[in-house]
Amino acid sequence: MGTTYLASYSTLGFLLVLGVLVSIAAFAANRLLRTQAPSPAKQTTYECGLDPVGDGWAQMQIRYYVYAFLYALFAVESVFLFPWAVVYDRPGFGVTAAAEMGVFVAVLALGLAYAWRKGVLRWL
Amino acid sequence: MNLLADALASGTVTTGEAVTFWILAPIALGGAIGMVLARSAVHSALLLACTMLSLGVLYMLQSGPFIGFVQIIVYTGAIMMLFLFVIMLVGRDSRDSLLETLRGQRLAAIGLGIGMALLLCTGLARGIGSVTAVGLDEANANGNVQGIAADLFTKYVFAFEVTSALLITAAVGAMLLAHVERRKGDRPGQKELSRLRFRKGNYPGPKAGPGVFATSDSVATPALLPDGTESERSISPVVPVRELTPAEAAPKGTDGGKRK
Amino acid sequence: MNGLESFGQDPWWLVGLKALAIFVILVLLTLFSIWYERKVVAWMQVRPGPNRNGPFGLLQSLADGLKLAFKEDLVPKAADKIVFLLAPMISTVCAFTAFAVIPFGPVVSVFGVETPLQLTDLPVAVLLVLATSALGVYGIVLGGWSSGSTYSLLGSLRAAAQVISYEIAMGLSIVAVFLTAGSLSTSQIVAAQQGGQEVTLFGTSFTIPGWYALLLLPSFIVFAISVVGETNRAPFDLPEAESELVGGFHTEYSSLKFALFFLAEYINMVTVSAMATTLFLGGWQAPFPASWWPGANEGWWPVLWFFLKVLILLFGFVWLRGTLPRFRYDQFMRLGWKVLVPANLLWIVVLAAVRAGTQQPEWSAQWVGMIGGAFLLVLLVIWFWPGRKKYEQATEPDTGLGGFPVPPLDLQVPPSPRVKRLTAEREPVSVSAGDDATAEGKEG
Repeated sequence: MGTTYLASYSTLGFLLVLGVLVSIAAFAANRLLRTQAPSPAKQTTYECGLDPVGDGWAQMQIRYYVYAFLYALFAVESVFLFPWAVVYDRPGFGVTAAAEMGVFVAVLALGLAYAWRKGVLRWL
Repeated sequence: MNLLADALASGTVTTGEAVTFWILAPIALGGAIGMVLARSAVHSALLLACTMLSLGVLYMLQSGPFIGFVQIIVYTGAIMMLFLFVIMLVGRDSRDSLLETLRGQRLAAIGLGIGMALLLCTGLARGIGSVTAVGLDEANANGNVQGIAADLFTKYVFAFEVTSALLITAAVGAMLLAHVERRKGDRPGQKELSRLRFRKGNYPGPKAGPGVFATSDSVATPALLPDGTESERSISPVVPVRELTPAEAAPKGTDGGKRK
Repeated sequence: MNGLESFGQDPWWLVGLKALAIFVILVLLTLFSIWYERKVVAWMQVRPGPNRNGPFGLLQSLADGLKLAFKEDLVPKAADKIVFLLAPMISTVCAFTAFAVIPFGPVVSVFGVETPLQLTDLPVAVLLVLATSALGVYGIVLGGWSSGSTYSLLGSLRAAAQVISYEIAMGLSIVAVFLTAGSLSTSQIVAAQQGGQEVTLFGTSFTIPGWYALLLLPSFIVFAISVVGETNRAPFDLPEAESELVGGFHTEYSSLKFALFFLAEYINMVTVSAMATTLFLGGWQAPFPASWWPGANEGWWPVLWFFLKVLILLFGFVWLRGTLPRFRYDQFMRLGWKVLVPANLLWIVVLAAVRAGTQQPEWSAQWVGMIGGAFLLVLLVIWFWPGRKKYEQATEPDTGLGGFPVPPLDLQVPPSPRVKRLTAEREPVSVSAGDDATAEGKEG
């Protein structure tokens, strides 16, 4: 604990900062070395040869949102599963922990089953 | 003796921790303020993500690596959800409307805000003033994840199970709101679609491309039919039909106007 | 921390050296794997592939990369400038960071300092990889959104939905590894796969490696499928589907920004291969029993085994790309939510039940193997169960809207009245200058 704990994370932070610095350096070098000849035609949005009409937004399906919601649901579930998996084999847990997690997963699986039955998971 | 002075006096806050805190705390705070002030909804969502990430790192800093990473994993997903919602509901360039549609919302917001601030302040004051910090050394003795699991599956098992009920309620609510139930027969099948396509009066072939057989390859120039007349169907309705000027019909230079 | 004492003790110069090594290795591996991919796909399609620059064309990707970085950088007028610049940076930095917790080898001596061949390890190291992959999607989603093009926006939406769907499957597939290894740290997961299990099957006794790919086969399969979805590679490359969305999220990107996206994609491929190696294929341990060559797991040899395994997995990625057509979007989502996630949950429950049943220090690999096999069999049966109704010939012809004129089935095609083909005289077309400025397509 203590110093070694922070050392591991500061190493990680160091790598993160290094990554940012490297990409900033790359952008700087790119800025100096690349050719630059802007023209209005180049700055238009690419539309396979047609001149774009309107802005680049189109009405999207609500489905994407439902899937994102399911993601949040299952992300929380897997977050609970991780510590459970780690302690599962230790003395004092075992069957009790299995039962507790069983109830938890069953309730969530019920949700997935409901979504399935309702046809939410059918894309088309 | 309060918590802050205690920690500073005993030297449990290392330099690295203090430096990281003073870097991340302003970022978190700035992100939160920026989120409220940003005009574009996507920028708001991004600034919120920034705040959540800073909080995650702060948790790691305080010997809670598991909760720190969980913060990042779960909140990235949650904010992604918000993000998608924003993209679907509003256009890319739409800004906040300054028109108020709800009457008295400003007053209610101020009242609730003050209440919330009072609640937070009392909590903080109690936290800083009367609680003695014991640190996480004891809780993390067998490892951080194991410590969390030990508490979660024994002491807080009820809260844990209730969480699943809460999650499922929210998810089912969202599904009911977002999902339009359709039975199999409600959608036209391949046969119906093909019949619609070949119905009398429908020309089943592909439409002529704009500019085909014409004097220019612009999208605004209609295709010429074999008898020399212009085909209205070859241009998109959003493009006004016009005869191009020679300057417009000339190839567009993409070399920055060096060769013209 | 238990078992992680050897981390966080390095002197500052060694940390710098390791970080630098990670950057160099990842960039070199990216250059190599681009060449590798092009070459392997070329061989699969019976053509030579890149063979001009350097021996076997090895320097081709370096030349391409340099050229790309010197290209003009186009920012569309409709773009959100800051986010447009930020997006490729997010992608690249997240891709680099994930590699910090990958163990390349055991403790070795570098200039007289004993240190493990791994930048750092955390008690929650695997979560770091999950977190960076979740954050890396932001690069793609924001890049697509900020471009201001409909193609890009569609690509970014697809990327978001795709990654969030397959991240769940990936996270759940790792749970079985945590369950068996009892740890979330990469170095300990590798250590837990050391040594084989003595298995007696039909009277013959043999040792199988302790690799989780064998012990937890269903998890490995789910992991392998979901990481392909997670890295947006064929057959799951819907966010950039070039035949549907031009370039998807990177349609408007050019020059270095495009290069960074490209780099991030390949680093992600290497990272998930390294992750699969670490979690399921014994990490840096030699791919044969320790009794054959006692020194194989010591010193610098493990680095060789590690990269061998990673390269084989990378070959798998290329193989998939060379073999499979792209999924349709609904098929893709169906696979994720209706097959991978439920199968995974079921497998975890089965595994937990088995482990609760045989809760003793020496848990029986045989049991897990048998039940896992049975489970897999059931899965395969469900998977390949003929769900489609057989086509039945209609008893009477479908006249549709009173009969659409169709040619008779025994139609004789009359000979063409034109004896000689007409050849059209064409005027030479004036060719405009500069035709490659709008988008650099991805080539492979």
